Order: sequence, then structure tokens, then C-alpha cells
Amino acid sequence: SVTKDGWNKGWGTATCDLLQQKCVVPPHGVEPLSPVLAQEYLPNCSPDLFRCTLTKIPETQSVLQKSRMPFGILIHPFKDLEHLAVVSCNTIVRCRSCRTYINPFVVFKGDRRWECNLCFRVNEIPDEFLFDPLSRTYGDPSRRPEVREATIEFIAPQEYMLRPPQPAAYVYVLDVSRQAVETGYLKIVCETLLAYLDKIPGDRRTLIGFITYSATIQFYLMGEGLKNVQLIEVGEINDMFVPSPEDLLVNLDESRSLVEDLLDSLPETHANTVHTQTALGAALTAAYKLISPIGGRITVMSVTLPTLGPGALKPREDPNQRSAKDISHLGPATDFYKKFALDCSGQQIAVDLFTLNSQYIDLATLSGMSKFSGGCIYHFPGFHSERNSPSVLPFRSCFIRYLTRKIGFEAVMRIRATRGLAITNFHGNFFVRSTDLLSLPNVNPDSGFGMQVNLEEPLHNIRQACFQAALLYTSRERRIRVHTLCLPVTPNIHEVLNGGDQQAIVGLLAKMAVDKCLSAQMSDAREALVNACCDALSAYKASLSSYSGLPAPPTLQMMPLYILGLLKSVALRHGLSTKLDDRVFAMCELKSLPLCHLIQTIYPDLYPIHNLSEKGAINIEDMVVPQPGRLHLSAEYIDRNGAYLLDAGCVIYVYIRGGISPQWVNDVIGVPSFAAIPQPLYEESLPFVDNATSELARNFVVYLQKNKPFPVPVQIIREDNPSRVLFINYLVDDRSEGARSYVEFLQFVKSQVK
Amino acid sequence: KIRSFLSFQKGIRFSWNVWPSSRIEATRMVVPVGAIYTPLKKRDDLPPITYEPLRCTRQQCHAILNPLCQVDFRSKLWVCCFCYQRNQFPPNYSSINEQNQPAELFPNYSTIEYTVMRKQNMPPIFLFVVDTCIDEDELGSLKESITMSLSLMPPNSLIGLITFGRHVQVHVLASEGMRKQFVFPGQKDQTAKSVQEFLGVGSKAAQSQMPGAPAQPGMAVPNQPQLSNRFLQPVQSCEMALTDILADLRRDPWQVSTGKRSLRATGAALSIAIGLLEACYPNTGARILTFLGGACSHGPGMVVDDDLKNPIRSHHDIEKDNAKYMKKAVKFYEGLGKRVSDNGHVVDLYACALDQVGLHEMKYLPNNTGGNMVLGDAFNSSLFKQTFQRVFTQDDKGNLEMAFNATMEVKTSRELKIAGALGPCISANVKSPLVSEMEIGMGGTTTWKFCGINPTSTVTVFFEVTNQQGGDIPQSGRGCVQWADPQTGLLHITAGFDQEASAVLMARMAVHRAETDQDGTDVLRWIDRMLIRLCQKFGEYTPNDPNSYQFHSNFTLYPQFMFHLRRSQFIQVFNNSPDETSFYRCILNRESTTECLTMIQPVLYSYSFEGCEPVMLDTSSIQPDRILLLDTFFLVLIFLGETMAAWKKEGYHEKEEYANFKSLLEAPVEDAQDLLCNRFPIPRYVQAEQGGSQARFLLSKVNPSMTHNNTLYGGDGGAPVLTDDVSMQVFMEHLKKLAVTSNA
Ligand SMILES: [Zn+2]
Ligand SMILES: [Zn+2]
Repeated sequence: SVTKDGWNKGWGTATCDLLQQKCVVPPHGVEPLSPVLAQEYLPNCSPDLFRCTLTKIPETQSVLQKSRMPFGILIHPFKDLEHLAVVSCNTIVRCRSCRTYINPFVVFKGDRRWECNLCFRVNEIPDEFLFDPLSRTYGDPSRRPEVREATIEFIAPQEYMLRPPQPAAYVYVLDVSRQAVETGYLKIVCETLLAYLDKIPGDRRTLIGFITYSATIQFYLMGEGLKNVQLIEVGEINDMFVPSPEDLLVNLDESRSLVEDLLDSLPETHANTVHTQTALGAALTAAYKLISPIGGRITVMSVTLPTLGPGALKPREDPNQRSAKDISHLGPATDFYKKFALDCSGQQIAVDLFTLNSQYIDLATLSGMSKFSGGCIYHFPGFHSERNSPSVLPFRSCFIRYLTRKIGFEAVMRIRATRGLAITNFHGNFFVRSTDLLSLPNVNPDSGFGMQVNLEEPLHNIRQACFQAALLYTSRERRIRVHTLCLPVTPNIHEVLNGGDQQAIVGLLAKMAVDKCLSAQMSDAREALVNACCDALSAYKASLSSYSGLPAPPTLQMMPLYILGLLKSVALRHGLSTKLDDRVFAMCELKSLPLCHLIQTIYPDLYPIHNLSEKGAINIEDMVVPQPGRLHLSAEYIDRNGAYLLDAGCVIYVYIRGGISPQWVNDVIGVPSFAAIPQPLYEESLPFVDNATSELARNFVVYLQKNKPFPVPVQIIREDNPSRVLFINYLVDDRSEGARSYVEFLQFVKSQVK
Repeated sequence: KIRSFLSFQKGIRFSWNVWPSSRIEATRMVVPVGAIYTPLKKRDDLPPITYEPLRCTRQQCHAILNPLCQVDFRSKLWVCCFCYQRNQFPPNYSSINEQNQPAELFPNYSTIEYTVMRKQNMPPIFLFVVDTCIDEDELGSLKESITMSLSLMPPNSLIGLITFGRHVQVHVLASEGMRKQFVFPGQKDQTAKSVQEFLGVGSKAAQSQMPGAPAQPGMAVPNQPQLSNRFLQPVQSCEMALTDILADLRRDPWQVSTGKRSLRATGAALSIAIGLLEACYPNTGARILTFLGGACSHGPGMVVDDDLKNPIRSHHDIEKDNAKYMKKAVKFYEGLGKRVSDNGHVVDLYACALDQVGLHEMKYLPNNTGGNMVLGDAFNSSLFKQTFQRVFTQDDKGNLEMAFNATMEVKTSRELKIAGALGPCISANVKSPLVSEMEIGMGGTTTWKFCGINPTSTVTVFFEVTNQQGGDIPQSGRGCVQWADPQTGLLHITAGFDQEASAVLMARMAVHRAETDQDGTDVLRWIDRMLIRLCQKFGEYTPNDPNSYQFHSNFTLYPQFMFHLRRSQFIQVFNNSPDETSFYRCILNRESTTECLTMIQPVLYSYSFEGCEPVMLDTSSIQPDRILLLDTFFLVLIFLGETMAAWKKEGYHEKEEYANFKSLLEAPVEDAQDLLCNRFPIPRYVQAEQGGSQARFLLSKVNPSMTHNNTLYGGDGGAPVLTDDVSMQVFMEHLKKLAVTSNA
């Protein structure tokens, strides 16, 4: 009926037939779904930080099962925030029973008591909590920031510390094999570090140390009072030791000039190296020994497959199998790196890995050092500062961000949930210390985590279910960041299905798919993804009284598209030759990217930019930012007279077709004609040309870059350039080698939906 | 440089200057025929000869032309005095005649030195191996000494630096931008191969490349600085770098908890130093100067563990087989000693510590290589500083008084065979019919190798007389002995006895026995037995009448030497540490006859208003109005008699009217200075007075003619010595009794 349709549309629950609705990509992007609470005034945790795959929690296991939707949460706990309430108090108010932090969703029982929203225990309110720090008066506890903010940070009192807060401690482990030095990466690392020494998070206690490695391991004495930096070389790679108990990990303030000297001279020092093999394992062991009394961060730069000493590896990749249905060697060849990471985790050390390899480096094995130590992984295949100059920019900007972003040391994150809900699986880089406790030696603002949730007891008589993530970390002082997410509970299957958060669902499914690749085969993982899509749509179809085509609630209408994007992603694709390391890296990204960036890599944003206008533009910091509508990733939308920008998260492509108006080319690129556009052309933004069109285009790129952790390269590709394949490969909707088009995929899904 | 020599020249002394004509007679002489020879003894009388020596053409002989060879000037022939081969003079000798003889035929030049220009000389290499587990001020002094030594070396000398504590650091001295060091874990022994591989040095590279030469073409990477000697650089180019490194060098930074010793990887450090030179410069002149501030307590060659509760082994521990680490350490250092001497390199040990450092275990290194062994208390003592400075003594031409890689080849005529040698050298294992079946010391060879040798290095060579009774005794020559008129009569032989040389020779044999048998009491009995037999053979007496015993004039001092040898620290080890024993024995084994005699029987001078005179090493020489100067070689002591000490205390020497007392006080001090400045190592210098604690140094040396056992009431002065030792008088009486009765 017309009334019902109108009502449903009004509530955002209108059913659409995916086979009929050609465009499902909202021009202005997918709005994250916010849980709708009965008490609308309650501040909930921002969906940028904390999301659940289901914005309405099924009351019982049977409803959940019927919904056939994955149940889990995605969290970006240490995201850079512009506004964050920070509380310093003597006593942090927590539930005496389950240790939940007091939060906006607790229920006050009179003036002096509160009921825990996770375990329902009634707790006393301490006097201190009645004090309103703003008005400096005693009285109503509801004025406290703890109950007015769903995300809050505490400065931890003494009792939260096992030891005094550790100083920031950084050890850099740098590959100085001949191949590594030849890429020129070392120079960039040293220059960048030198330029950003002041911006490294830390205080006057900050410690820094360097280890370089090839066939031998080199240390650098930089102790205060030494006249010169001294290099210590150790060849005993099978029985690694630290050659000096001091002066290797030095106070940055006190040894500043020596550190600078070192960074100045390091590339020259290794310029003539003859070693082509590396003993990375020994270098790691050395770094561990160096930093383990304190904890901190080990940054590893690796260019070559380590073939010497402990953790030595062999090339495993068969180039003929790069496009196979099932991929072997996705798992580690040795448990050395995992064991190492666990040792590190035990000593509050995170290991971050940068790979800059041209040849196979076995990221599947090496990544273990970061995965289990709460580190992160960055991959710059084919890096070479001269032969591949475009590779310099992304590496440098990534490294700058890496160096300067905030960092939390000796962190742990605990996820609590309302009684009846249980966390079953964790995704991301960490070590699970106990059922709900993640050990994160370092926490950084660019990493996300996912958890699968199980409904263990029915949530009868509970109107709202909550998840609370508490992140305890050290940054000069001990701090606790608490996020509380509250979701309504419903017994109604239809509401559950309509409350699915498709981005969160796909985010969680992606992580589960990666696990499946390792525990089973890649084809199993791909099948599971398709099944998850079919299941959800089947469940929805079953919940409808009447239907036609392939019905989907608006909240799930992009799910098949996302799943298709996943199937065609670097991590999971087949049919397209993909280097093993690149694939493994893409898998790592699926596991650890925060949701917003993850979605962008699965289904990038495509914008037409040949007709940008101020119409509908937004104003950001006195900058007019045009808002071109997003397009489906299909050649169908690529006009031969147009120019398009594709934002895939880690790279932006500007694709210019031959029919583009010379005026536009002139205005935006600053050259007279299409044919005059230089190739390849890489920029951090678009070229500066002094006119309004250019400014709009540039503003738009600046705006996109601002939403990323660090600026990514903008590659301008002419339609007639072979590198257009980079762009074309992202056209997910179109049929590609051995892979269905979106329409074919929908047909297939329809055939599976019962 | 090659030297040949004959007797009747300084630099060599024989136990017997006449030997019997039969083997049987020879065996009855008790003291073997031996020569104490100082090959590089400074000689100003030698002609400068820069051509090659002329050698006998017989394959097995190759003896060098010498004044004992018969020369036929007309036919230009010479007859080898060893093998009678007739050799034609080469063309460059064509102008010789009776009036125009080459220097090597002059009878005066029975010792001659050829300077051979054949091989270009490598500059010497000095590799410092420095213990950093010492106090900062000690390290400071040591650094000063090392820095000072740089200025004493020839500017083209190659130097290297290895430091060690818990780990071993090999410093790069080539200028390569950043200062570099290579570190080896101290607990691990490195094979020569691993040192070479890791340091990137190799024997192939070194053989084809002299230091400073341009890198070989076709190396893997052009412009690569030559790796083979980045650790060993000419002092003139790396002095700054080394000085900088030394300036930054600190105490081993590893913390030592209370009750523990520093972990000191001396063994690993030496092994690496030896491996480095082995790889880079085998068989070139190189000296590893090792500075030790304590015992190796970590890794290979450890002699003590790091728990201070466990003291380092003593002679008692060794005797009771209770020295836990000793055997393994000895095996380790013996192996190193073999390796380093095979490479022709020298190892010096400069030990400065209050406790032992393990010289007992490490002695093979200096002993095999002719390296220095110095034992002091502290690196900031003048004893060490001056001793170390003396290592770099230069001759008047400005050359260092040190030589490397000497070989000593001994030739004898058929009537003598070579039994062995004792000294700061090793056997070069050259077999020959001249080698005797009897072995004394290092035998089985005619040739010995001195990795390092200096003008005082002295070796003892032992011979066996093999000529048959009644055989023709020809003249014999080069290599060791010239007996102008061999005699068979006992009297003549008796007259040929050199009791000083014999005492030294026997002392060295005794020490060698002690070192190899490890049984002191047995050695003591051996010394006694030999002495008694000698006295029986060469004394005049009526059997069974001790009072009838009379020594031959040139035997009278010998029993005295033996008396003092028996009491000396060389044999009586229990008052010393094993390290001290090793040190004393090392020096005894390499010094000249005169110096060794001083060690065996210290010299005592008396200074009084009556003048200065040598006096008996006897308690009776200690008088109130005397100043004594005792020289034990290792120690120079000035001892003020009771009255002298009292006067000094009163300050008489500061008063003008007692100027003669002042000069009396100064006289022995000046004489002591003369002694100090001519010795290596510098002796310990002690000033003592009657009744003072330092007096013990004197009292332990003098013959206890008066002890608390036999002091007569109202004796004529002299100072009783608290000892249970028998006095020399008792000893002599006993000896005579045994000589006339024993059937030994
Ligand atoms: Zn609770
Ligand atoms: Zn001959």
C-alpha cells in the first residue's frame, strides 16, 4: 500500500529490489547507521569509533540465527579525536562486580546509587562523583562528564600502574644489505627521521636506538659524552647478544647531536656494503634484548628476504600460481616470527614492519612479528628512490605519519558486554591475553579491531545491550580511554534485518574471510562470503510476506556490491596475477584497517571531476569543497569526455579520457591539451593552476586527503597510457578476468536466495 | 739477518769448554755439554756485510763459509769444516788471495752478521689487546702508556687495537667515516676461520697485498676500501683515530654485582687477535701486546669463575688437583701458543693486578713466541710504565731493538749431536742426522724459531758427545763449538768446566723438569743427586772421609749456586703464586748467564764509611752500620742497617756537617738506578730498614747462617733470620759427607 510504503520509507525500512534498482551507491556516501535508542538524548559512541554489525540486537539466539547475519563489533579505539573529555580523579567509578566504567547508559537509583548496565549490580556513588567540575558544586551525578560522554578518557590514578609509566622507547631496525641500500630508502628514512625528531611522541625521557643488519648486525654507540657515534658490528648471528649494556638505546635529549650525526652519516656508512644476504632474525633478537627492559616500539625496515641466521627463509612463491583459485603459502613458513612477537608482547614491545621489497620477501611469515605484537605492517613493493620515483612520496608520507602520530605504550584493551553477550573471536594485531583482554604493546590511531560476538543467554527484559571498550595505555602518563556503545534489543527479526549495518557486516566478513584463507582455502573463504550475502538476503526475503526479484532492506542494499568488491580485492581475487606478498599485505589490511578505510579499499569512491561546481559544495576552513556525487565503479559511468577521480584509500587516481575538453585540461592540469599531459604524473595534490576550476579540484583533493591518516599519491592517468589498467582493475561492477559483473553476481545471488 | 758464531767470543758460554773424546766419558760428566747463547748480543766490532753468505754446496750441509774452513787461494776452493766438501768460490770471490781475504775468513770474525737485502721488510705490526675491566684511573694510565708508545714506533708500523671485557671489540683504525668496531661474544672461542670470515680478512688477500698497496683489480666492488687491513693501519695515518678511540675508551660497561668478578674474556680476545694476524699477515713481524688487569673469568681460557668466593688457584690447589679450570685453560692457551708461534707472531703479556691474572696458564704464549712477560701491581706504577717504554728501546741507528721471526740453525761436526734447546723459542722441527736421540728441552730438531728476539734473548742448546773412544777428533766448527785441542784427560776436562754457565744450564733444566713434571720435590732431589754426582766425580777426597773433600778451583762456587737454586723461587714455589712462579721461570729461561746467576744467587753489596764492597749473601752481612744493596734481578732493595736507619730518621743527612752520610745514603740509590735502567722488566725497587716490614725481601734471600735455631749468645752482630732452612754451612757439610760416601 502507498501508506505503508511511505511509512517504511520514512523510517528507512523500504524494501528495494536489487535487480531493479540499478544504482545503490548513495551519491554522498553511506551514512553510518546509528542505533536508535528509546532515550534519544543519550550520547552514544560515535560510529566512527565503535560499530556493531547489528544496530538492533536480537533478543534471543533463535532470532539471531534466523537473521543469518554476522554478529560482531568493529572498533577504532585510538582514533585521533578533535574533542575528547579527559577526567582526572582520585577514584574512577566502576562497577564493583564486573568492573565496568560508569557510563551514560547506567541507571541512577536515587542520589547515591547506580545500576550497572552490563551486569545490573547496584553500586554506591562515591562522594567525589557528586562534584561537578564545571560548576564546582556538589549535587547531581548526571552532570559528570563520565555520564555525559560515551567516549571519555581517564588519567589513571596510581593503582592502575604496575610500574611507573614507561618512557617512549624506539628502536629502528634497518636493512642495510646491498639491495636495500641501493633502493635509496635508507636516505629517506634518515632524512625524514632527522626532520621529524622533534615531533616524535615522547618527553624528556624518550629513548632511541638503531640497529642495522645485513649478513651481520650493527649497533651504534651514541652515549652522552662520546665524541662520535661508533658503529659496533656483530657477526655472531646465531647466538645474538647486545654488545654493550649502555649507549645503544640512548636518551634522545641527551644524545641529540649524536643521533643527528648518525642519521646524517648512516646512508654513507653503508654505501659500499657488499653483503647481499640478511640476518633479520638476529637483528630482531638484538633489538628485543636492547629494548625489553623498558618496552616500546621496534620499527623494522626490510628490503630483502632474510636468508641467514635464526628465522632464515626460502623463496616459496611460484609465480605461475599467482592467479590460481587456491593460493598456497599464505601461512608462515616458520613460527620464529610469531614466537618473537609473543616474546615482545610479553615485554610490552610492539614490532612494526615496513617492507620495501622488489623480490619475494615472504610477508606471510614476516608479518607474524607485527600481527602478534600489536604492531602494524606497511608494504611498499618495488620501492626505489630513483628507478621508481613515484614510490618515494607514499613511503615518505606514510613514514612521517608513522613517526609523528600519537602512540600509546604498554596498552591493554578490554571489551565488556552486557551479560548474555560474549566475545568469541578477535581480529586485528594483538595478542589475546585472556578471554576479553587484548595485549597491545603499542596502540596507534590508525589501527582498527573487530570482534565476533555470541549471544549466550537470551536478553529477556533487557531493553538495551552495551559494549564497553576500555583501553589502558601510557603516553607520558597512564591513561584509560573508554568507549561505550549502547544498542537497543529487539525480539523482532524484521527489525534486526532492517538494522543491519552493511559496512560493519562487510568489514567483519572480510576479517573472517582472511582467517578462513589461512585455516582452509581461499576458495572456501570466497564461497563463505557469497554465502553470507545470500544468507542475509534469504533471511530478509523469508521475513517478507510478499516479494519480487531480489529484495533487500535499504541498510543492506550495498552488501552484494561490497561482497563483489571483496571477491575482486587484491586479497581474495583469483584469475588476476597477484604477487603473494601483495596479497598477504592486502589480507593484513583487511584485518587491521579501521572500518571507514577498509570499506574504501573494498569499494573505492569514484567521482566525476570534469564538471565540479560550487553547487552543493561544503565549506571547510574557508575552503569551498565541491561534492560531486559518487558513481558506481563501472565503465558505464565513465564518459568519454570526462575526468574521474578514484579514491581507493591508499591511492588516488585521476583518470582522464581522450574526449576531455582542452579547457578543463588547461584549467586543472595546466597543459594545453590531453596529449600534453605528462605521463606518468604523480602529485600529492593536483597541479596548482591559478583559476577557479583548478581551485575547486584541488580543494576536493585536499579534502579527500584530510580524511586519511597521511596524504596518498595522486596519480594522473591518461586514458591512452598503459597504466590505465590500474584504474580499470578497480571497476568492480564490470566483468573482469574470470569474475562476474555486478549484474551477473546479483543474478547468481538471486538464484541462491531461497 | 743471519748470524753465525764460534766460541771464544762474547755471547756464548759453554758448560764445558773441553769435552771428552768418548761418549762414555761424556755421560759421566753429569752436567751435559751445552751452550748458553745470546744470538743478537750487541756487537760493535762486526763488519757490515751486505752480501749473501756463501754456503757449502752439499745438499744436507749448507754450512756457511767461516774462518775454520781451509781455503786454497790458488785453485779458489774451500773445504767445508763440517762435511769436508770441496767448494768452488763463485765468480765474485775471484779476486781473493792470501792478502785479500773476505771478512768471513778473518779469525776475529768467527761471529759475523750478514745483512741480506733479498726480501723487502714488512714494517712491524703491533696489535694491542687491552683489558677494560680495570679501574678508570688504571685504564687512564694504560691509555697514556699506549699513546706514548705510538711515538716510539717506526711511523710505518702497523697498529691494531682489540679491547675486551665481557665481549671482545676489534676496532677499525682505517678512516671510514663512522668509527667502527667489531664485537665478538666473549664466551665463545672463535676459530681462525670464523674470525676471518666475520672480519672480512683472509690469508689470500693478505698474501697478495702488502699493507698500503692498492686494492687488487677485479675485486667484487671497485672503490671498496681494502678490508684486509682496516684493523691494522700505519701508525702515521691512524694515530689520530687511535688516540680518539683511546680517549673514548671506558671501563667495560657491564655491571658487576657485589661479590662478583668482572667477566673478562681474555681467552677469546687473544684467540681473535691471533686469528686476525693469522689471516692478514702470517709469518711477518707482529707483536700482540696484551694488557691484563685480572684473570680470565669468561669464555675460553677462563682460569677462575666470576664468584669472588672462589679464589684463583694456588700452588696447593694445583698440587691437590683442585684447580677446577686449570687443565682446560692450559690446553686452550697451549693450543693458542702453538698457533701463534706457527704464524711467527709474538705475544706479550703485561699483567698488572693485585691478584693473579692466569700467567700460569697463559705462559705458553710468551714462552713459545719470545714475547715479554711482565708482572706488576698497577698500570699506573712506574715499574709498568718504564718497563713498557723499554719495549720500544731503539738502537743508535734508531731501529727498534726487537727482531722478528728468527730461526736458529745449529750445525755440528759428526762428533756432536744436538739434544735440544731451552729458551724463548719453539722447535722448527727440522730433522737431520745431527739430531741426537737423547732429548733435553725442545729436541728432535736442529733448528728453532724465535718469533720475537732481542739483544738479550738467550737460548741454551744441549749437545750429546757421540764420538767413539779413540776415534779421530777432527776440528769442528760453525753453529756451536770449536774445541781447538780436544783432550781426553780428566784434568783437562775439569779445567774446562764453566761453573757459572753450568749452574744456569742446570737451573734451566731443573725448571724445565718442574714445568713438565709438575713435581717440585722430585726436581729438588734431582738437583741434589746431580750435585752429589758432580762432586763425586770432580772432587778430591778420601772415600768416607768428609773432611778430606776438596773442590777443584773452578768448582768451588757451583755448590753455592745449587744451594741458592734449591732455596730460590724457581724451585721453592709455595711462597709464591703460580703466576709469580711462571713469571720468574719465564725470565730465567731467556736471560744471559750473568743475569740468570743474579736470579739464582742474588748479589749483595755493602755501603759503609769504609767504602763499597760486595759481601756474602749471608745473615752475617747484615750490620747496623751498613747499607746493603740487594739485587735479585727481579728486585733491587736498599737496606739500611739499624744505625743507618736511626741516623736517617734523625735527619742527619740534611745537616751540612754530615754531608758524608748524605753521600753514603745516595751511593746505593745511584747504583740501584743503574741497575734499574738496564733491566727488562724493570725490577721492583724497595727501600727497607732493619726491623721494617720490607726487610723480609732481604731476609728471605740471605743464607741463614744465623737462625733462631743456632744463634750464639753474644754473637758478633749479624741479624738472625727466622727460618727453618738449613744454612749453607750445614748444606756443604752434608754435601761433602754424601759425596765421599754415596754410591749414587
Ligand atoms: Zn557491572
Ligand atoms: Zn758442508
